[in-house]
Amino acid sequence: MTTTPGPPPAPPQAASPGAPPAASGAARPPLLRPDAGRRVGGVCAGVAAHVGIPVRTVRLAMILAGLSGVGVVLYVFWWITIPVGDPHVAAEESRPAELQRLARRLSRERWTFPVRDVLAGAILLAAAGILVAERLGWDVNAGWALPVLVLLAGLALAWSQLDAAQRGRMLSHAGGRTPGSMLRLGGGLLLVLVGVLLLVGRTASTADMARAWVAAVAVLAGAALVLAPWWLRLVRALGDERAARAREAERADIAAHLHDSVLQTLALIRASADDADQVARLARAQERELREWLYTDRAVSGTSLAADVRELVGQVEDAHGVPVEVVVVGDCVPDDASSALLRAAREALLNAVRHGEPPVSLYLEVRADAVEVFVRDRGDGFELDDVPPDRFGVRESILGRVQRRGGTAVVESRSGWGTEVHLEMPRAATRERPPAPSPGPRTADVPTTRTDPAEEAHA
Amino acid sequence: MTADQDATTAPAPVDVLIVDDHLMFRAGVRASLDARVNVVGEAADVDSAVEAAHALRPAVVLLDVHLPGGLGGGGAEVARRCADLAPTTRFLALSVSDAAEDVVAVIRAGARGYVTKAITGPELSGAVQRVAAGDAVFSPRLAGFVLDAFGTGMGDVAIADDELDRLSAREQEVMRLIARGYTYREVASKLFISVKTVETHVSAVLRKLQLSSRHELTRWAAARRIL
Repeated sequence: MTTTPGPPPAPPQAASPGAPPAASGAARPPLLRPDAGRRVGGVCAGVAAHVGIPVRTVRLAMILAGLSGVGVVLYVFWWITIPVGDPHVAAEESRPAELQRLARRLSRERWTFPVRDVLAGAILLAAAGILVAERLGWDVNAGWALPVLVLLAGLALAWSQLDAAQRGRMLSHAGGRTPGSMLRLGGGLLLVLVGVLLLVGRTASTADMARAWVAAVAVLAGAALVLAPWWLRLVRALGDERAARAREAERADIAAHLHDSVLQTLALIRASADDADQVARLARAQERELREWLYTDRAVSGTSLAADVRELVGQVEDAHGVPVEVVVVGDCVPDDASSALLRAAREALLNAVRHGEPPVSLYLEVRADAVEVFVRDRGDGFELDDVPPDRFGVRESILGRVQRRGGTAVVESRSGWGTEVHLEMPRAATRERPPAPSPGPRTADVPTTRTDPAEEAHA
Repeated sequence: MTADQDATTAPAPVDVLIVDDHLMFRAGVRASLDARVNVVGEAADVDSAVEAAHALRPAVVLLDVHLPGGLGGGGAEVARRCADLAPTTRFLALSVSDAAEDVVAVIRAGARGYVTKAITGPELSGAVQRVAAGDAVFSPRLAGFVLDAFGTGMGDVAIADDELDRLSAREQEVMRLIARGYTYREVASKLFISVKTVETHVSAVLRKLQLSSRHELTRWAAARRIL
């Protein structure tokens, strides 16, 4: 643990520890108790950062003052009243929003002194000591000790809420009112009440005690009644502020997305304004992306065959500028067989957009037993037998690829009607089949499939 | 959608109300529609759409799925609040959204069909005319939604025709072909039935989609990733 207050690297002018920033008069960090670099409550570190003197000096002064007792009171007072926060980060955040960076700043984890544990231990030790002393015959007047202990415990419990380091963590977990903080407040109140009554009413009669009870409760109720509107307003303001902050984060998210996607595309469109095809392509790609972003819940990549198909169709649309109507029914996790099916479907789709006429449609249906793909275009059609044998497109990369994996592939093509490629891949069968140990390089997946006999042999 | 089925008939222009919250889009639709359609009015939000539909009594309302105003129900709310105009005024959903729940919601609220905003002018005019004639207009995408919603991928086939929760085998075939991009006429010739029979099947599917209480219809969107 370093002895410097550890100014975060964010403000470059405050980089040299100890020496106050050059413009310390103008931009003095607010008085906050930092989480990082604290020994007990972070009071000394906060004061040091605020005033701009080394934390070691502040600590020494505080310890000296503490010997006389004044320091302890001062320390506890500051601990209670100074809110938690990183002074340097707070100074940064007070700058106008548009000058700030969007990404969160990194913070450092520091070891802190476990105040509460030590305090609890000390109280337990004191109680044990009193018990032992009594047993040894010393006349300890324990009559006041118990009430004082109860009182202190209650105070500590209630005030510990203000240690916002923990409070902030609880708030972020439960979104505001945690049962823990309520319990703490209630328990503290009860303990303090019992402690005070025991302390004050040690010698009083029962009737006096009862009267004191009534008076105390009445005063408390009156105070609560008077303070209620103020408290309500505070709670409401807090809620409003929290909602505003959530909205702000959301807006920043949207703005970032618009900037990354729409703005870039618009710039590209303006740059290629005379190329109608290019403009249409860009607009279509952007429209698809924006629609996806606006209206759909996106799947984790690699878990959805439907998402893969849509992505594939998007790539083909972008590359060739032909709109493709894609319809997907059902979904499954992609596996080897469905990937081969998709590659074949991609070839079929490429043929359709290259040689056929729009509208081009792709239909994929995932059933319990099989996955089916239909690719349809409205071109003039072609005869499979007319395709020269050296053209591997249809025969190998579409039909062969599917058939090798136990699927079926049918091409239906008629003049004036268009072409439809129907691919079907069984699902149950592909699950039973072990992952084929490929002896050769898996070049079979590349569209030029001249090395396919190797795969055919083992499949 | 197909224009080829509409060439056979040459009826009077169909009165249409265009409901969309974007002025540019309304202007675009108005310009792209041909002589078969007569635009009688426009509306920009839920309340004005309901009002205009009741005042103008158009044959067809071209209804955007996402609309401001009202109780926030969008196009589905308009269709529901205009249910009293049922036989004379019909609704055709027109959406830029691909989200199935949006589209299925507006169909279940009473729309007679669904087309995307990418549709061409003549196709849209043809679709409007078919809706006005009482037929259902299914785009490939809507057919896909229906197949998904009725769980046909799992081989669930209705035995009796009046079963609301499942599609019959024939209806599934028709829906599959439409989803594959076939026109009604192509579906008819593929299945060796008449175009009229195709339209009957499509209307039956639409009715099931609107009336079925199949629980998947409400929560299938969430479940469709898990197969």
